[in-house]
Amino acid sequence: MLSMTNVSKIFRTDLIETHALRNFSLEVKAGEFLAVTGPSGSGKTTFLNIAGLLEPYESGSYKLDDVEVTDLSDDVRSGLRNQKIGFIFQSFNLMPDLNVFDNVDVPLRYRRMKAAERNKRITNALEIVGLAARMKHVPAQLSGGQQQRVAIARALAGDPKLILADEPTGNLDSLMARQVLELLEKINQMGTTIIMVTHDPELARRAHRNVQVVDGQISDLKPYEPHPTAAAQALGSSALATAGA
Amino acid sequence: MFAYYLELALRSFKRNPGLTALMVFAIALGISVCMITLTTYRAASTNPAGDRSSILFAASIDSWDPDQSYDDRDKTLAPTMLTYRDARALTASGIPDRKVIMYKSGGTYRRADKGMAPQYFATRMTSADFFAMFEVPFLYGGPWNAKADAGPDPVLVLSKKGNQEAFGGANSVGKTILFKNREFRVVGVLDDWEPMPKYFDVSNGAFQDLEDAYLPFSWGQVMELGSHGNTNCWKTEVIDSYQAFLNSECISFEAWFELRTAEKQRAFREFLDNYVVEQKKHGRFPRPLNNYLYDVDDWLERNSVVEDDNKAMLTMAFAFLAVCLVNTVGLLLAKFLNAAPSAGVRRALGASRRDIFWQHLTEAGVVALAGGGVGGLLGVCGIWALRAWYGRFVDEATRVLPFDEANFLICVAIAIAAGIAAGLYPAWRIGRAAPASYLKVQ
Amino acid sequence: MEIRPILSSLLRNRAGAILVSLQIAITLAIVVNAVFLTYQRVSHIGRPSGIDDQNIFSFWVTSYEPDHDYLAMVREDMALLRQMPGIVDAAPMNQVPLSGSGNSTLFFSLPDKKGENSPANTFETDEHAVQTLGVKLSAGKTFDPGAVIFRTERGTAWQPTGVISEALGKALFKDKPILGNTMYDDQSHPIRIIGVIERMQGSWVGWDKVDRTMLTPSIGPDASTQYVIRVQPGQLDRVIAAVEVALLKRDPNRRLDEAKKMSDMKRRGYAGDSLMAVTLSTVTGLVLVFSSLGIFGLATFNVNTRTRQIGTRRAVGARKRDIVRYFMTENWLITTLGVVVGCCLALGIGYWLSTQYQLPRLSLYYLVSGVLGLWIVGQAAAWQPSLRAAKVSPAMATRNI
Repeated sequence: MLSMTNVSKIFRTDLIETHALRNFSLEVKAGEFLAVTGPSGSGKTTFLNIAGLLEPYESGSYKLDDVEVTDLSDDVRSGLRNQKIGFIFQSFNLMPDLNVFDNVDVPLRYRRMKAAERNKRITNALEIVGLAARMKHVPAQLSGGQQQRVAIARALAGDPKLILADEPTGNLDSLMARQVLELLEKINQMGTTIIMVTHDPELARRAHRNVQVVDGQISDLKPYEPHPTAAAQALGSSALATAGA
Repeated sequence: MFAYYLELALRSFKRNPGLTALMVFAIALGISVCMITLTTYRAASTNPAGDRSSILFAASIDSWDPDQSYDDRDKTLAPTMLTYRDARALTASGIPDRKVIMYKSGGTYRRADKGMAPQYFATRMTSADFFAMFEVPFLYGGPWNAKADAGPDPVLVLSKKGNQEAFGGANSVGKTILFKNREFRVVGVLDDWEPMPKYFDVSNGAFQDLEDAYLPFSWGQVMELGSHGNTNCWKTEVIDSYQAFLNSECISFEAWFELRTAEKQRAFREFLDNYVVEQKKHGRFPRPLNNYLYDVDDWLERNSVVEDDNKAMLTMAFAFLAVCLVNTVGLLLAKFLNAAPSAGVRRALGASRRDIFWQHLTEAGVVALAGGGVGGLLGVCGIWALRAWYGRFVDEATRVLPFDEANFLICVAIAIAAGIAAGLYPAWRIGRAAPASYLKVQ
Repeated sequence: MEIRPILSSLLRNRAGAILVSLQIAITLAIVVNAVFLTYQRVSHIGRPSGIDDQNIFSFWVTSYEPDHDYLAMVREDMALLRQMPGIVDAAPMNQVPLSGSGNSTLFFSLPDKKGENSPANTFETDEHAVQTLGVKLSAGKTFDPGAVIFRTERGTAWQPTGVISEALGKALFKDKPILGNTMYDDQSHPIRIIGVIERMQGSWVGWDKVDRTMLTPSIGPDASTQYVIRVQPGQLDRVIAAVEVALLKRDPNRRLDEAKKMSDMKRRGYAGDSLMAVTLSTVTGLVLVFSSLGIFGLATFNVNTRTRQIGTRRAVGARKRDIVRYFMTENWLITTLGVVVGCCLALGIGYWLSTQYQLPRLSLYYLVSGVLGLWIVGQAAAWQPSLRAAKVSPAMATRNI
């Protein structure tokens, strides 16, 4: 699904150079639920931005779904991002003046879809996250957990192969955080690869695999092994997540 | 996709109505000021002769003082009017397809059949060709014939206004009028006709009223009618009779020539030069050979119908528009950068730079469109107000400040183009902004 | 207050600062030139004519009968008019000052077209002209009634005595005394100057020699004379109506043209200047409003996007007045950049206008005033946003928005 080899990223200011990533290599297989952990400033977010085709990098190679993306134009990268990747952010990043429906609509618009098809997908995605009844609400009228579920629906609506989540529960209380996490597990069950950046070891443990980034490099590669408990819990809690909406 | 951008633009306006109104207002004011100055400029720079402009010519020959040029400002130029002798001699040429000799006069008249109080007519003493040459429309009757020019026959043509005053607007062809106590027969009545600028005679100002009656030129000499236009003299001459005036070096007359082919134009220029060379042998034309044949465009330019003030005001107006646009660029930039986080999210969700650019350019375009529309209306109101104000000073206010649909459209188009141009940089800038920096908690 | 950190912060947000500077630059260029041109026009319009122009009107009288005695008509009309209530005095004239139409003649200080020469508007009139126009004699006297000639033949023979304006006298005789001196027309007819008028404008207000005028004691032949009438203040409309009735009652068989007030003719003469002055001052006002709005908008935007930075400064001990000073200094730097560029632009436009359109050259006095003015406008526009910045709470530093 995702394959980075020796990717380096340097931030330059007038005085200093910061090596955000140095010879960073990582392989993620389709269907994985990967947690990326590490201390603040370790390069987690840089990795996620590069994975999401949001930032250029100095050197190395990056294949997304077997496509080498390093030298692609902005248009093609944007198209790939739109087709293959869904983003979930810590601060939700919903458009405050768009209602729930229109927020979920945003990525579909950039895919230049027909209105009927968009309608179907939006309704479907909102049903998965259990917010179909709140379509006309604006973000300010929703709780934090509900907002994050809208963001998940937005990521889902495009039917991406890869979801990139940056501290998805960081701004939520524990109950809401659990619901969101269960939703992500359910989505992973349906076949979507998920890469989640978090500094919460509790959360990371629920993923199939953990990698730790320290000083811009993977410090400890754990072998891929399905996590029986997590998978079972994910299955068991999906009903709960839907009911809790 | 355009519809989506439009929708987003409208949402964005709802988010910052004050800022949006300020931008619309900036463009609107800028363009309305331009529209007002452009109106006066265009009114002055109109060429009413249309496509006949290039075949109608006014002659200018340098008959002036050997010690002093006619025009202080540009010493290379020759007088814009002719002496009686020269006007007669030039219009005797067989080269032109049509030719007109004329000057402006006037006098009292009254109707022969009724004891009405005497009234005043401004008259143009001219040739039969005048009407065909300047495409003058007739309501009743027609021009006098060429024979009446030579006669001169006691015939005249009334303007629509003159006919209204003398005959209440009725068909007066065949009726008689007493002009300066001499009987004249009406042969034609003009329809509405008001070429502005009054290009065939700008000597008293380009926006002056047209004359009330047109009489064969020769009556001017028979009745010794003085010029109501300009008369300029340079030579020390004793002018103690009308005939002495006609024989003098005083310039007071105009001559126009229709020359349809380049060949005729060339031949006529040659004729002018030969004429002056010939006259030099008789001791006239003491200045170097310096003759001009102006077509209508050049004639209006030669006579500075577009005044320097018009040009200066136009310059100022467009500089003002520039300030308004720079203002708009600044406000758009501030507005777009303020909304950069949302553009960052859109980028993350798959919008390309191009998408973001077009989205914001659309927004700028809508501002420009609104600015152009409001500015157009503001401009019309401005012209209306200025006309009312200016009308207190001068009669020709409506001619100097006409409502000109083409001008309206030009200005609205300029506003839209300028507004979109103002949006280019901010839209490009926001499209280039790195999305990643806006996605994290701020 | 250090300027260096403000500068480096400005450099990081170049575009906005450059736009406002550019706006200030063009504003300075427009305002300075527009105010300069407006001032030219306004002082042109406002200069005194020397004539009681608010209380004078004039009109043409045309007789219709072929063999009427024109001069007798003028004489009798004048006698009638001069005794009418409300009328100060009346005089026949071949042209009317400030009216926009008239003629001029070249005069010389010596015979045979020698010495100094100057053109002048020449008024053929009688001994009542000085009183009728309300002009002030600075030396000498007006004509004797007996000197006035009723001229019947064509031609331009000036009478042997004349009353001229000081401006014409100075043009011809420089420092020599004007009164009693003699000037000549192009055929060497001598004209002895018996009176000098302090100031009297001629017929064309747009003419640069409009203040060179001469009165000559003659009344021209038929249809070349207008009646000029001066009334007591406030009587203008009433007298105009009364005069028409009285003249037609005396002799109905003639045409009186519409009476024209000299004040209207004067306004008409200056209409182009008025239009220019109004347009330019409107543009000046608008451009100042827009520039201050632009400065205000950018300052507000800067404050809004930097609340956290401001909060941090406050948290580490900056006083409110330090914050205000920070933003005012920032604005001052932007304005200064603008006026520096603007000075070049203003001089450029000024030079271009003066060469292109025969307008006077921009004087530096206006430029200096413009620079000071824009500094004040800039600081005024930045004042409110700076105060808002000062109100930002130090707690902003730790908040997450």
